[in-house]
Amino acid sequence: MVEENNNDQFEQNDSQLASALTGKVDYLTDLQNSIKDGNDLHVYQLINHNKYNQQLDVEPDLNDNATYDFSLAQNLTPELSHHLSYKLIDYLGETYPFFYYHEYELGQFDVYFGNWWDHRLFGKLDVINVAFEFDEEEYDKLAQSFNLEAEGKRVNEAAMQRLAAENDHLTNLVVEQPDRNKQRAKLQGQMQEIEGRSAMPWESAKQKEEKQVLEEQLVEIDNLDNQANDANKKIKSNENEILKLSKEETILGFERQSLKQIFGTFAEFNDSTRTLYKNYLLSFLGNNAEEKQVSDND
Amino acid sequence: MTSKTESETKVITNNQTLNRYSSAIKSGLQHGEDYVELFSTLVDTKHSQSLLEAAIGLTDFKLDSKFLTFPHQYSDEDVQLVFMQRLLDLNQVPQNFAINSVKRVEKLQAQFRLLNDDNFAFFKSGKSNSGFFFAPTRNQKPLFYLDLQRKELLFNSTALVSYFVVTLEGTEVANIKNAVSVLIDFAKILKESFGFRVDFNILDSINGEFYTFAAGAISEEVLDELFVDAAQSNYMLMAGDNGEAILNLDNDIKLVVKNDGSDSHPKWGALVHDEPQKESWLGLILDYPFISDWYLKNNKELAIISDPYIFG
Repeated sequence: MVEENNNDQFEQNDSQLASALTGKVDYLTDLQNSIKDGNDLHVYQLINHNKYNQQLDVEPDLNDNATYDFSLAQNLTPELSHHLSYKLIDYLGETYPFFYYHEYELGQFDVYFGNWWDHRLFGKLDVINVAFEFDEEEYDKLAQSFNLEAEGKRVNEAAMQRLAAENDHLTNLVVEQPDRNKQRAKLQGQMQEIEGRSAMPWESAKQKEEKQVLEEQLVEIDNLDNQANDANKKIKSNENEILKLSKEETILGFERQSLKQIFGTFAEFNDSTRTLYKNYLLSFLGNNAEEKQVSDND
Repeated sequence: MTSKTESETKVITNNQTLNRYSSAIKSGLQHGEDYVELFSTLVDTKHSQSLLEAAIGLTDFKLDSKFLTFPHQYSDEDVQLVFMQRLLDLNQVPQNFAINSVKRVEKLQAQFRLLNDDNFAFFKSGKSNSGFFFAPTRNQKPLFYLDLQRKELLFNSTALVSYFVVTLEGTEVANIKNAVSVLIDFAKILKESFGFRVDFNILDSINGEFYTFAAGAISEEVLDELFVDAAQSNYMLMAGDNGEAILNLDNDIKLVVKNDGSDSHPKWGALVHDEPQKESWLGLILDYPFISDWYLKNNKELAIISDPYIFG
């Protein structure tokens, strides 16, 4: 036997090939059966064997010669993702009831935070890896909002106060228009009075000075009048800006409230999303254990 | 001879004239009696149907004739008011609306028992001889239009909001609702007993009633504002699956703001949904200050359309 093998390398190669192909066929058959049986847990095991063992603290079985090569099914990721999404989203619906999902193309999911008006697109759901991919900007805004809340502040507070103060100022400018009109008439009267005065040559410098002071005051009034003329438009646009900011605050408020209802703190929420893969797969084991127990009791 | 003939002619002519006079008086009196009969029916009948017939008969009656005029008359406007009060009484609607006591023939006015001392009366509409406006006498902005002859009653959203929400601001809401319910009851009786065409407008509490906003399209800011205002009152405006906004209020009342048209031809409006079908748009405005503020602030866009021919 030994001699034969040594002599016929091709034959050995063929048997290795056969065994490798068997391994791959077995893998795909295993995958196919797991999908047919709805055994998502095993599908995840097949998708990423190492991660599965590592996360679930499974001792690698040294006698396990099975092939775990997800690249064999890689191009079926969208279909697999769609298949796995049913149970995953059911699970997430329980654990993260404030997230909503939209499958914008096969197996690709957007995550929305909340179902309130103008809820935010908060990121994506990676079904194959059982992970949220939060949009960095949106996530940071929420994180900041939690930080500020601890100090009793709000994200847009400064900007909103600035805009409100500007609107107060502009409103005053409009209200004070009649006063400025009176002031202008008074200054113009003084100006005429100076101009009408026949001054001695040695007085002309002083006269010029007086006129200049009056002119400066009139220019100042012109400035304020111009601002007042544009005020209503500006007030309206500031109001819209304030509305935008308070809408964002309202949304952040709802987001914080939802998170706190389920997780207590933002840190707890973050911990939970970090260990989502493990928690999700353990939930299958938990169910299996329960089911097993039920059947044992029978 | 000639003169005799003339005199005979004269006598005959005078005679005719006098006869014509007496028959004119007679027919005038008969006319007056017809009037009295109708008027007695209006005041005394126990039957809604004869009450309606009497009111229709008396409207535009023209009691005076060439030779017979009656100095003290109730106007067509008064007839409508008597009809309204009597119809409510006959149908045992609780006595929350009553004509003020009068000592002589004068314009009749009525008051709602639970409201302030505002007087209400009917006014000629100018739209037809049988069409009248019911309005507070202080500003005569018509709350509804009534035409008994054509069997029509149309409510006017603008005036309803202007009076019950703006003018009566600060009044106990239950009392306002009590007055509003009198108007609704009146319209319901007309609709159910006589088949009147009634446009309840913002008083309609049927769940499918779509209150169309005047602007057709509304800006995004308007809904953003409702979202923010609602949140400040601890209500959440939600996003529906089809771009509509849904506000869940107390007692399972749901307000839906949506586009009932298309993107190119928008027709925005509101629906109020509640199991008992008791809540109307006006009811929401009265019950929820933040909705009322929002509605009034954005009234240019949100005003609910009323019949443009009658109230235009």
